[in-house]
Amino acid sequence: MNQLVVKIDRSEMRTDQFEIDLRSGMTVLEAVDAIYFYHDPSLAYRYSCRTGLCTTCMMLINGKPGLSCMTIAEPGEDGILHLAPLPRGKNIKDLIQEV
Amino acid sequence: MDEVKTDMLVIGSGAAGLAASVYAAESNQQILVIDKGAIGRSGSTVGAIQIASLGSWSHPEDSLEAYREDISDSGRGLSSPVLTDILVQDISDRIEDLLQWGLKLDKNVHNDILVAATSGHTLPRSISSKKGKTGLAILQVLTKKARKRNNIQRWSDVITLELVKANERVAGAVVLDLKKNKPYLIRCKAVILATGGIGQLYPITSNPAQSTGDGFALSLAAGASLVDMEQIQFYPVSLINPPSLSGLCLSFYHSAKLYNRNGERFMKKYEPETMENTTRDKLAIAIASEVEGGLGTPNGGVWVDAAENIEEVKRQFHHEYQLCLDRGLDFERHQAEAGPAAHFIMGGVLIDRNAASTMPGLYVVGESAGGLHGGNRLGNNALSECVVFGARAGMSAAREITQMSSITADVPLQTNKADKLIAVISNSGQGSERSYTCKKAVSELMGKYVGVVRSTEGLLQAKKELYAIEEKLAHVKIMSSPNFYSKEIVDYVEALHMVTTAHAVVEAALTRKESRGAHYNKDFPAQLTEAEHTIVKIENGKMTVQEEGEI
Ligand SMILES: Cc1cc2nc3c(=O)[nH]c(=O)nc-3n(C[C@H](O)[C@H](O)[C@H](O)COP(=O)(O)OP(=O)(O)OC[C@H]3O[C@@H](n4cnc5c(N)ncnc54)[C@H](O)[C@@H]3O)c2cc1C
Ligand code: FES
Repeated sequence: MNQLVVKIDRSEMRTDQFEIDLRSGMTVLEAVDAIYFYHDPSLAYRYSCRTGLCTTCMMLINGKPGLSCMTIAEPGEDGILHLAPLPRGKNIKDLIQEV
Repeated sequence: MDEVKTDMLVIGSGAAGLAASVYAAESNQQILVIDKGAIGRSGSTVGAIQIASLGSWSHPEDSLEAYREDISDSGRGLSSPVLTDILVQDISDRIEDLLQWGLKLDKNVHNDILVAATSGHTLPRSISSKKGKTGLAILQVLTKKARKRNNIQRWSDVITLELVKANERVAGAVVLDLKKNKPYLIRCKAVILATGGIGQLYPITSNPAQSTGDGFALSLAAGASLVDMEQIQFYPVSLINPPSLSGLCLSFYHSAKLYNRNGERFMKKYEPETMENTTRDKLAIAIASEVEGGLGTPNGGVWVDAAENIEEVKRQFHHEYQLCLDRGLDFERHQAEAGPAAHFIMGGVLIDRNAASTMPGLYVVGESAGGLHGGNRLGNNALSECVVFGARAGMSAAREITQMSSITADVPLQTNKADKLIAVISNSGQGSERSYTCKKAVSELMGKYVGVVRSTEGLLQAKKELYAIEEKLAHVKIMSSPNFYSKEIVDYVEALHMVTTAHAVVEAALTRKESRGAHYNKDFPAQLTEAEHTIVKIENGKMTVQEEGEI
């Protein structure tokens, strides 16, 4: 199985890096789920429908805003998948912004 | 514990909760609507495609009587005639209101309102908005309306732990503000509960992450009765693969063909006349029986082939088609593995014509309420139920509380259950069990023993395993800091609600010693002549089930 390096900008100016097993067709949301399940249960993120409708799973994916449930998990130019909360609004924790 | 006061508390902000809030707000009572996710964007409503209704678009032969009969036929003897009457009588007025508030209906090429046929409705009566994003469109209209009222407060990211009572009346709730995991006691004169369904109790589901059956557990603990909890609708044709789309409903199944592993179009054995275009309960049972009989695909489903009518699929169900295409599944060229996914619960809290539960002070609406759809819900009647009964509950609760003098002051400050729960969270550093793993265990056992095809032995095994998970949850380990948003804490609270609700489903299923509607027990494959309802309650701390002829 391929590995994917995921770097997440988190609360309190912290950035963490994780190495996860990558399945083909895996979405960014599935990658974040895998980090919560197997690597770091304190990771906070938001989602609901998993089908691109509710928009609550939106985050910065390799620097661009996107729906994590609809975006395939792929590394950016530097070989790493970068995730960060949306820049606008107040941050609740990690990838969650206040609604 | 800090306190919050309001006249009316609405729990859940799908179509049902928001409709209740908006109609209640006409009364000038103070309304607080809370949601454990983002308000207006966290329920099943978001995914709904069409809504059934009578109106100016109705087929000339359609009528109150015809609509009522369809619901009653589909309900397999379990649809409440009182609730059915109200749905068919009220729905066109409620759609009128929505249209006045800005809802725009989809039109056909002739600029007429687009009306679609749906399996089980004898006449076409399904309409839509925003090109089939009807649930979202309704949420937007209701949210806009709610924003304009200064007597509606909205509070996102706050999960309900327990309903609290004073003088044998529901008079508030203990909630946890997830942003800081800070508990609050909300005092009010009435609660409207609209927390949606139970999809997450199963491993494959069309439902959003928040559908963990919280409302059923909350209502039971408050002393309300649940009706026909064994009646769970499995959307018959939902994707199994790819995993990221697991549970996605293929709304075009009635124009697709289904094959078992031997390439046999198996529906000819079950429903030779209608083939795939039959009601959801029958199709789900047929598919599950093929899989049980060893004729399933590698991942335990059947093959769905939509190539023949692909143009219709692309046109009418564009979002689904495109979503699959984006994940490498092209229905024009490929068959897909599909099977039944937990989709909707027909059972729920027993309510009267104004959505009042059997417990004073507690109204329940939308998918959390039971009794309207009986043994099988007709497509697109769920949204209709949300707006009709949401409105009724809102207006009737407002009327009731306008006559009450003040917010009950003698609610016990902290209740046993919420207290214990908060204590477990505080001491969870010492624990050993992941809350997420417990949730997963519940869904796996429900899928295995309480799915489409059930057996008495399986149900008894489910009960045993649920007790074991309950035991584990007492030793939960939460590693994240309790001072910040913690998904582990959300999972813990949800796991507790899931276990209670799962127990209710299992108890109801064990009590129904026949197969009726969506409940199929292979030890009792026949339907009895008399239809009885199962009623689950908690009395003196113990879950009990009774059978009742009329509700
Ligand atoms: C994919 C999909 C497609 C569907 N398509 C159709 C269709 O085309 N037509 C149709 O009529 N029906 C359809 N249905 C069914 C219908 O959408 C739902 O039954 C209906 O929308 C439920 O609305 P609701 O307001 O009762 O609950 P929901 O919309 O599910 O809202 C419940 C809300 O309560 C919140 N909540 C839950 N527990 C708590 C708690 N403990 N504390 C605080 N908040 C809580 C949730 O976060 C959520 O926001 C579909 C369902 C799905 C999943
Ligand atoms: S989870 Fe709803 S849009 Fe991604």
